[in-house]
Amino acid sequence: MSIIKVDNVHKKFRVYYDKGSTLKERALFRNRNRYEDRWVLRGISFEAQKGETIGLIGRNGCGKSTLLKLLSRIMYPDEGSIEIKGRVSSLIELGAGFHPDMSGRENIYTNAAIFGLKKKEIDERLDDIIAFSELEEFLDNPVRTYSSGMYMRLAFSVAINVDADVLLIDEILAVGDANFQAKCFNRLRELKAKGVTIVLVTHETNTVSTFCDKAIWLNDGVIQASGKSKLVVDQYLKYMNQELYESIQAQEQRKRDAEVPKPPEAEPPADAASTDQVSAEENPAEQAPVDEDAGKADSNADEEKIDYEANRFGLRFVEITKAGFFTEKGDLTYVIRNGEKAEIRIYYKVNKPLDRYNFGMGFFTLDYVCLYGVNTEMDGHIITQLPDEGYVSFIIDDLMLLSGKYILQVAVVDGNGTPMDYYRNYSFFDVISNVQAVGITEIRHIWKIPE
Amino acid sequence: MRTIKELYEYRQMIFGLVKKDLRGRYKGSVLGFLWTFINPLLQLIVYTFVFSIVLRAGIEKYYLFLFVALIPWIFFSTAVAGGAGCVLAQKGMVTKIYFPREVLPISHVTSAFVNMLYTFVVVLVVVFIAGVRPSILALLCLPVIMIVEYLLALGIAMIVSAVTVFFRDMEYIIGIVVMAWQFLSPVMYSVDAVPEKLRGVFMMNPMTSIIMAYREVLYYGKVPQLSTLLLAVVMGIVFLVIGFVVFGRLKRRFAEEL
Repeated sequence: MSIIKVDNVHKKFRVYYDKGSTLKERALFRNRNRYEDRWVLRGISFEAQKGETIGLIGRNGCGKSTLLKLLSRIMYPDEGSIEIKGRVSSLIELGAGFHPDMSGRENIYTNAAIFGLKKKEIDERLDDIIAFSELEEFLDNPVRTYSSGMYMRLAFSVAINVDADVLLIDEILAVGDANFQAKCFNRLRELKAKGVTIVLVTHETNTVSTFCDKAIWLNDGVIQASGKSKLVVDQYLKYMNQELYESIQAQEQRKRDAEVPKPPEAEPPADAASTDQVSAEENPAEQAPVDEDAGKADSNADEEKIDYEANRFGLRFVEITKAGFFTEKGDLTYVIRNGEKAEIRIYYKVNKPLDRYNFGMGFFTLDYVCLYGVNTEMDGHIITQLPDEGYVSFIIDDLMLLSGKYILQVAVVDGNGTPMDYYRNYSFFDVISNVQAVGITEIRHIWKIPE
Repeated sequence: MRTIKELYEYRQMIFGLVKKDLRGRYKGSVLGFLWTFINPLLQLIVYTFVFSIVLRAGIEKYYLFLFVALIPWIFFSTAVAGGAGCVLAQKGMVTKIYFPREVLPISHVTSAFVNMLYTFVVVLVVVFIAGVRPSILALLCLPVIMIVEYLLALGIAMIVSAVTVFFRDMEYIIGIVVMAWQFLSPVMYSVDAVPEKLRGVFMMNPMTSIIMAYREVLYYGKVPQLSTLLLAVVMGIVFLVIGFVVFGRLKRRFAEEL
């Protein structure tokens, strides 16, 4: 039996360019009342069976909260229909209707009344509500003296004890401390087992895949995918990763574009070889002006000139002209297979000889967690002599990263650690892995199972 | 019909809101709840002073004549003028949770009504002291008149509160309209003072028959004329139905507009 039936629901919002809602404004500025219709939901249909738990996911502004508001009848669809059988309790805005001057006990009554409970029904549930909220001793204090956590706990306890047939929840599982949260989840599981249909909006995809039977992924007002929660969440996360990747790349591209307009005249011939992203980098002398009188040892004096916040910073006595993963044939690549041999090359050019050269690299996740970082000196290679141009190789026999996008960081510093040329985010690369495991990196292991 | 059934289920919410409103009204004042009684008494003293010493109205016991009409009028004007903003004032609840929106005007008008009932304790005492002795039958008509006035006020409050959401000026316009309405209703004068020719138009005002009925019971001490009472009942119901229909139409877009 389907409890919720949503059929081809459309919802639009009027977006006024400059709204006047008083008589004067309406009469005087007729053209100010121009508006455009923005369709936030375009043809949503789904059904929920009794006892089913459905997770609504999607990025901000995709329409999931609007859909929940339509389900709770705060708003009405412009087209299509929504049918819900039974009593609906919504945990959309907890504590709406709380009166700060009234005591917790009185607020339980008013709040429960807002859910349509009669006095007798509230009396019956009062003990459960109080016990659940764990606020016994504060119950006769006015609610304004409560901490925000206590406030939410009280509101949640009321909403969850309403005995609804359908429970609508919007991103409120961040209630109270960890213990209370666990308690809330247990309660939700109990309700689920009792046959309560739950619709949940959340950004925590983990919750959706573990707690929900079904997930619906909304994108731009339409259902992008729906079905078994785990599958939908996987699709959604993949999509979001791709988005993130593209947005980071676009950002990088903009940054590079912004740097280009500087006078291009002094492009050193050595750079002509770099055909990849680095090619847009301008003459080092312009970006980090080098004091001609400064000797090798004076690099410390120039340190102040370094902008450590930038993506690329350093004195450029030694310069990285190109870096990245290279295939055995010597071609640049951005895709590497897990478990295969990989080579990172850092091409450099020496503008001013140093006493010691120290090359480093690092792998980062997109949210900038360092996975691994090392340099030549850490590994015991003290380099005092280098040809003027060339490349340093970092060879990996067997790349153990799992599928995903990562950031490659490359750098060259001098013996004191003063950055010469340091790229926080040199480029992205993809790892493709067929390993069935979760996480970032593989850990080689064996299982031992008792006979 | 479904709305009415639902409203019945939500009666606890209406009670709660009315209670909250009544209790909050004089909160923080020294005399607190006593103001409900003191306020009309002080008004009575002012009117008595003005109309029996300064402005002689030429109507016997003018203070009583005015008082028994003024108290019901005050209820009506509070319900309507104050009711205009009652949905707007609960913006937080309307945009965040579901409940039948009719609850808001109903509880606003009800709380004004309950306040009038308290005041009527004073009114009845004054009526008694003034020497008017209405018959039991006449007194039994009083609740009927009150309920009719309640329905009328509710109907109008529903219309204006819904319109105010979309058109904020309504709140101020209705303030002026209610003031003019008071002078067009026989609150301070008798219907007899209205020219014969205009009386038909005058009776179109639903408050005219209601105030006349109050006055017949409390000032003249007799049972109101059936025609007056019937007219009031019909108009009260008509306004209530219109109110429900208009409100029901407009309420669907409240949450978006607020």
